[in-house]
Amino acid sequence: MTLFTGYGFWNPLLWLAGAAGVTLLGLLFWSRGRRDYRRGEGELPFLSGESVPGAHVGGGHLYWGFVEGLRPYVERLRGAHTGLVNDYVGWLVVILAVVFLIVLVGG
Amino acid sequence: MNLALHAPILAIAVPLLGGFALPLWAKFGRPLRDLWLLLVSAATASLVGLVAFQVYTGGIQVYTLGAAWPTDTLAPGGFPIRIVLAVDALGALVGLIATLAALVGFAYAARYLAEEEGKTLALTLGTLLWAGMLGMAFTGDLFNLFVFFEVTSIAACGLIGYRTWTSRGPEAAFKTMVLYTVGGLFVLLAIALLYGEYGALNLAHLARLLRGSTVDRVTLALLLGGLLMKVGAVPVHMWAPDAYGEAPAQGVILLVANTQVSLYALFRILFTLYGGLADPGIGWLVVAMGTLTLLVASLMAVVQMDLGRLIAFGAVSQIGYMLLGVGVGLTVLASRPAYGLLALQGGIFHMLNDALAIGLLFLAVGAVEKAAGGRNLGALGGLGHDLKWTAAFFFLGALALAGIPPLNGFASKLMIYQGSFLLSPILSALAILASILLLAVFVRAFQGAFLGPRMLQPEPVPSSMLLAMGALALGVLVLGLFPDLVVRHVVAPAADALWTGREVYLRAVFGR
Repeated sequence: MTLFTGYGFWNPLLWLAGAAGVTLLGLLFWSRGRRDYRRGEGELPFLSGESVPGAHVGGGHLYWGFVEGLRPYVERLRGAHTGLVNDYVGWLVVILAVVFLIVLVGG
Repeated sequence: MNLALHAPILAIAVPLLGGFALPLWAKFGRPLRDLWLLLVSAATASLVGLVAFQVYTGGIQVYTLGAAWPTDTLAPGGFPIRIVLAVDALGALVGLIATLAALVGFAYAARYLAEEEGKTLALTLGTLLWAGMLGMAFTGDLFNLFVFFEVTSIAACGLIGYRTWTSRGPEAAFKTMVLYTVGGLFVLLAIALLYGEYGALNLAHLARLLRGSTVDRVTLALLLGGLLMKVGAVPVHMWAPDAYGEAPAQGVILLVANTQVSLYALFRILFTLYGGLADPGIGWLVVAMGTLTLLVASLMAVVQMDLGRLIAFGAVSQIGYMLLGVGVGLTVLASRPAYGLLALQGGIFHMLNDALAIGLLFLAVGAVEKAAGGRNLGALGGLGHDLKWTAAFFFLGALALAGIPPLNGFASKLMIYQGSFLLSPILSALAILASILLLAVFVRAFQGAFLGPRMLQPEPVPSSMLLAMGALALGVLVLGLFPDLVVRHVVAPAADALWTGREVYLRAVFGR
C-alpha cells in the first residue's frame, strides 16, 4: 500500500486514518458545544447587518482579493491571448526560433 | 488467424474501418448504428487490452506489415524497410488511455448528444480520432507517425467544429486547424530531411543511424516545434483553451487523450530516436516549457468566468506537470540519477491521472451546460441542490487535479515535486504554487456553480452520463488509494521504456 519515492513515502490509508482521527476530534469538540442552539435566522447571509433574501456569493465574488492581487500579472498574460490566429502562428514561429537556438547553439 | 499476433494492426484497423462504416449503418437506422459502434468499441478495446497484456507480460510487441511473418521486421538487405509497429509498455499505456477516453466518451455521448445535432458525425469523428491515437501510440515508423498525427488532427478539428450552427465552435476548429497544419508541416519537413540524409523512415533504424550532425539537430528542432504545439505547451497553447472550451464534452475527453498521445510522440522522439544524443540543454528546454505552462495556465484559469474555459486552462496546466516530470528525466538521462527516474515516473503517472481527473471535470461541465443551459459562473449557482452526483463528481475531479490527498493527482504530483526538487528547488516551488492556484480556481468554480441558494431549475442529468462520470470517478479513487500498485505494475515499465529501454526497443525491431 505504500508508495516509496526514494526520498519519502506516501500511504493513502495512513492519511485516511489520520483524517478519520481529526474528524473524530472535530466531532468531539462539536459534541461539547451548546445544546440549546437552534438552527434559524442567524444563519442567513446578511450584508451590513441586514438580512438579504436570496443573497448568493457567486463564482465571481469568491477569492476576490486573491484574484485582484493577481490581476496585474494575469492581465498581461490575457493581453497575449488575443484570439487571433495570426498571433498564434507568430508564437509558434517564436518558439521554433528558441528551440532552434537551443538545439543548434546549445548543443 | 492468430489473433494475438495480429492484435496491434487490428487494434488500429478495426476503429478506422469501423468509423468509416458508421455513417453507412446510420442510414439503415440509429439502433443499427449504435449496435455497430458497440461492436467496434468492444472489439477495439479487447484488442488494445490484448496488446497491453502481451506487452506487460512478454515485452515489446513488433508487427511488420506486408512481411511473410509479422515478426520479420528486416528486409533481405538486413534493415527494416516495411512499415513496422512496435509497442512497448509506454505505447501500451497510452493506447489504454486513449481507449478509456473513447469508451467513456461514447457512453457519455449516448444521451448527451442529440440526434438532430450531428450525433452520427460526432461518433464517426470520435472513432477515427481513436484509431489515429492508437496508430500514433503503436507505430514504429516515423512517416506513419506523421500520417496518424494528421489523422488525429483532422478528426480532432472536425470534433471541435462540427456544430456549424454555433459561431465559436467552427472558429475554434479553424484556429486549431491552422496551428495543427503548420505544426504538421514542421514534422513532415523534419521527416523529409531525415529520409534525405539516411534513406530510412523506421524509428529504430534511424535511432541507430543518427550521429548528431547539423541536419539531425535541425530535424530535432522541427520535430520539437511541431509536437510542443500539439501538446499545448505555453506559449503555443492558445488553440487548446479555444478547442477544449468549444468542443462538446464527449469530444473534449478525446481531445485530452489526443494531447497525451502527442506527448507520447514527443517523448518517443526525445528518448528513443534522439536518446543516444542525450543533451541536457534539450532537457532543460522541456523543463522550462513545462514550468512556464503550469504557471501561465494556472494564472489564466484564475480569471476565467466560463466554466469550460476555466477547466480548459486547468487541463493545459497539467500538461506542464507532465513536461516538467519527463523533462527532469531527460535532463539527467546521461548520468541517470534515481531522482530522474522518479520524476519521469511521476510525469507518466500524471498522464494517466490527468486523463481521469480532467476527463471527469469536462464531462461534469458538459452535464452542467446541458442541465442548466449555460456555463457562466456569474449566472450559475446552487446546482448542487438538484445535481448532487454531478456536483460530487466535479468536486472529486477538482480535488484530484489540484493534487489534494488521498486522490490520484497527489501521488503523481508528489513524485514530480520530489524529482524536480533535486534538479532545482525552484522548479518544485513553482509547481506547488501552480497547484495552490489551481485549488483556489477549482474551489471558486465549485462554490460558484454548485453551492449557495438555488438560482436555476436544472434538468436532470441522464443516467448514462452519470455512469460515464462515475467510471472516471472510480478510477480517480482507485488510483488514489492504490498508487503503489499502479506505479509498480503499469507506470514503472512505461518509464523504464524511456529511461533504459532504448536499446531493448532497437533490439526488438532489429532482432539483435
